[in-house]
Amino acid sequence: MDSSNDDALDIIITNVVATFRTRCHLNLRTIALEGINVIYKPELGKVLMKLRKPKITASIWSSGKIICTGATSEDEAKLGARRLARCLQKLGFKVRFSAFKVVNVLAVCSMPFAVHLIDFTKNNRPIASYEPELHPAAMYRIKHLKATVQVFSTGSVTVTGPNVQNVATAVEQIYPLLFECRKPLCKS
Amino acid sequence: MSSRVCRTCGGSDIDVDQARGSAVCTSCGSVLEDNIIVSEVQFVEGSGGVSSAVGQFVSADGPVKAPLLGSGFHTSVGKESRAQTLQGGKRQIQQLGSQLQLNQHCLDTAFNFFKMVVSKHLTRGRKTEHVIAACLYLVCRTEGTPHMLLDLSDLLQVNVYILGKTFLLLARELCINAPAIDPCLYIPRFAHMLEFGLKTHEVSMTALRLVQRMKRDWMHTGRRPSGLCGAALLVAARMHKFRRTVKDVIGVVKVCQTTLRKRLTEFEDTPTSQLTIDEFMRVDLEQECDPPSFIAAQHKAKMQQLEQELARKLDDVEGEISCYKDEIETELEKSRPKLRGIYAAYAKEIDPEDAEVLSTTSDPEEPEVEEDELQAAAQHLTQDFLCQVIQEEEGRGKKTDDREQEAGPDMEGVETQRQAAPLAAILGKLPSAASLGLQQTFEESETGEKPDDEQLEGGELDLDGIDDQEIDKDQYSPGSVINTVQGQSKIQSKYILNEREVQMKTELWMKQNADYLKEQKEKEERIKKEKEQGTYKEKPKKSRKKKEQMEASTAGEAIERMLEKKKISSKINYDVLRDLNSRGTGSGGGSSPSRASSDPPDINATTRKRVNRRRRKKASNANRDLAANASMMGKRVRLLISSTSKKKTSNQTENCVTMTTDTTTEEAAAEGTPDPEPYTNPTPAAPPTVLEEEEEEEDEVEEECVSALQLVGDYGCEEEEVF
Repeated sequence: MDSSNDDALDIIITNVVATFRTRCHLNLRTIALEGINVIYKPELGKVLMKLRKPKITASIWSSGKIICTGATSEDEAKLGARRLARCLQKLGFKVRFSAFKVVNVLAVCSMPFAVHLIDFTKNNRPIASYEPELHPAAMYRIKHLKATVQVFSTGSVTVTGPNVQNVATAVEQIYPLLFECRKPLCKS
Repeated sequence: MSSRVCRTCGGSDIDVDQARGSAVCTSCGSVLEDNIIVSEVQFVEGSGGVSSAVGQFVSADGPVKAPLLGSGFHTSVGKESRAQTLQGGKRQIQQLGSQLQLNQHCLDTAFNFFKMVVSKHLTRGRKTEHVIAACLYLVCRTEGTPHMLLDLSDLLQVNVYILGKTFLLLARELCINAPAIDPCLYIPRFAHMLEFGLKTHEVSMTALRLVQRMKRDWMHTGRRPSGLCGAALLVAARMHKFRRTVKDVIGVVKVCQTTLRKRLTEFEDTPTSQLTIDEFMRVDLEQECDPPSFIAAQHKAKMQQLEQELARKLDDVEGEISCYKDEIETELEKSRPKLRGIYAAYAKEIDPEDAEVLSTTSDPEEPEVEEDELQAAAQHLTQDFLCQVIQEEEGRGKKTDDREQEAGPDMEGVETQRQAAPLAAILGKLPSAASLGLQQTFEESETGEKPDDEQLEGGELDLDGIDDQEIDKDQYSPGSVINTVQGQSKIQSKYILNEREVQMKTELWMKQNADYLKEQKEKEERIKKEKEQGTYKEKPKKSRKKKEQMEASTAGEAIERMLEKKKISSKINYDVLRDLNSRGTGSGGGSSPSRASSDPPDINATTRKRVNRRRRKKASNANRDLAANASMMGKRVRLLISSTSKKKTSNQTENCVTMTTDTTTEEAAAEGTPDPEPYTNPTPAAPPTVLEEEEEEEDEVEEECVSALQLVGDYGCEEEEVF
């Protein structure tokens, strides 16, 4: 059942966050003045640089650590990171591209049925938690995958995890649980 | 009295005499026990013939020395830290709970939760207020009282989500499964607040039915229960002819107007809303509805589908119309005189020209496409297109010039549309193919293999797929295909500015951030001045205090020397200290441990920072003594930190923070007293650096003070000073 449902379910990756290091100190002021599409935040001590081609926003610190967000796939994230490093290289810094790591992946998936959240929480007691006063979704944390799944009553599911593989596995895992608590749709 | 077996004869018949306090075997007469300890209340005659019981009341909260004051009123006299925390927590729970009108049983349960939380060290890094609120809310949920998290946050003036976070964490750590909130719970409470008088009960019942109906109609998942209650109560009130406006209800229920209206409209959409009041009270519809957000999403999807269908239909219709058009025109043409002679040749010439033009447009693009599939597709498309156009051209060629002019624009309109579509399709595909092609050439020209992990770790930048020209400084590089194909040569896809632009940007930036720059300058000037004056208190972030090497033969001597140097206390009996070390017993350590234990109550988070800062100022002569005092207090804090770390065997970093949170803030009344030195350094120390320093200094201190540990570890409650 799982594999056939995987084909039917589209898992859309909406955000990939990655970090890498340039192994050299960066002068934020230079970057701010000579780069295009940059926002300098001296209070926070970082520069935000936005790339257009892979649509990526990067936070650059003077220590050389950079966080890239906004990519839609792991490869795109890597490409964007490399492009960014190249850009910094051209600005004159002795940039080296090291320790690239995808830190977080956010994906969205939609179930073809609505989910009864209260039943779902009851069945999966300690792992799932639902606080309607605080957030409309039930949160399900899969520890061994380090993934968090938020289930909404309409059947939409958002998954965050450390990489794409984990996210896919998380969706596979949670599908049968959601299937049990589905709400049969009335034909109105 | 446990009936034992006599040792001599084995008989089990033993007589215990309370008065004499002896146990005797009745069979052989041997005395088994003498001077039995008896736990009976004894009475003593006081002055005036009043007899009173002997003994003292001992509190159940852990080991406490018998209070010197008989009445038992004392806040924090000499208890250990844990007991203080618990006591403070209990007081806060009582206070908050009474404001919420919780009964004593709930408050006791909340206190039990709090004890569990403290034993699991979950209070560290969190405000006690938040933790207590979370415990209380946990009780409310398990007991099912109609208290909302919003109420608690109102009382404490804290953001709901912060409280919610703490609550969720506690529930998870304590493995307490709080049952889900039922909106029905809140109805009696809100109904009471809306003042329905005698009919409150009836209105509540109606509202309850409404809420249950809403539940069945899937309006309640993912929504705040208070919103649903508000809507239900409003309707119920109106049903019973009470005039309650939306404003009244919102004031009680604590949601906003929009929410309430939305709930009402959603309810309106359900079939139940069509029933009359009597029908509603009697009948319960079987049918259930989909949740409203689902319905909205479905609605959207339907609209999209409809639009698509419409578009398709339009295309079909267009197709039909054009078919009809064609037919009409062919008919017309047949009835027209055909072009002869030079005109025929002219008409035919258009064919090959057009065909040529088309082929030229497609040709230069073809060689750029390196992938076979795209090539084939492009060829296929062009072929199709050519065939189409040729057919049209043949049709057109038979017309006269006049006809051409008239029908031309119409036909051309349709034709160009069709022309444009395939062309666009071809062109649209090719740019991406071109860029792919480019990428491929890049890959081939640079490293053929995939880069190894080692190379990447080495840090070299792998230039695969990065178009340098895009990033380059000169904007109008002709080679960048992406620019021209997209036709966006004006839009800069480069990332580095020209010289002039740099200048302009610099000016702009300077203007924008003038304030910040000013501040920085002032700070520098100030630092310079102070340096000149010699009063500059530098705060090197990573400087380590050099520990003076103390040469001592034994640990005891080392401690002695340290104590002498730091002038900790004149009340310490150094001889005993030495003995302590040699004997390893914790007796008579005197006031040293007591002083040590008094410090944590005195020092809380903010003063710790001051203490740390003062330690760094040791060098300055002016504050030598004070610094010594402060540093010794710091040392003692560290001593206790190291002792507590041994006791609790937990992370040192945690301890740095927990030291302060463990001691409740009530005890901080004395925070002013041990800190005589005024605050001179304005900029606050960043906590991580403080912690780092703490950690490292702790490491160094621990080795020296092992025996001091023993001093402090076993007990810490011999208190002579009050604060």
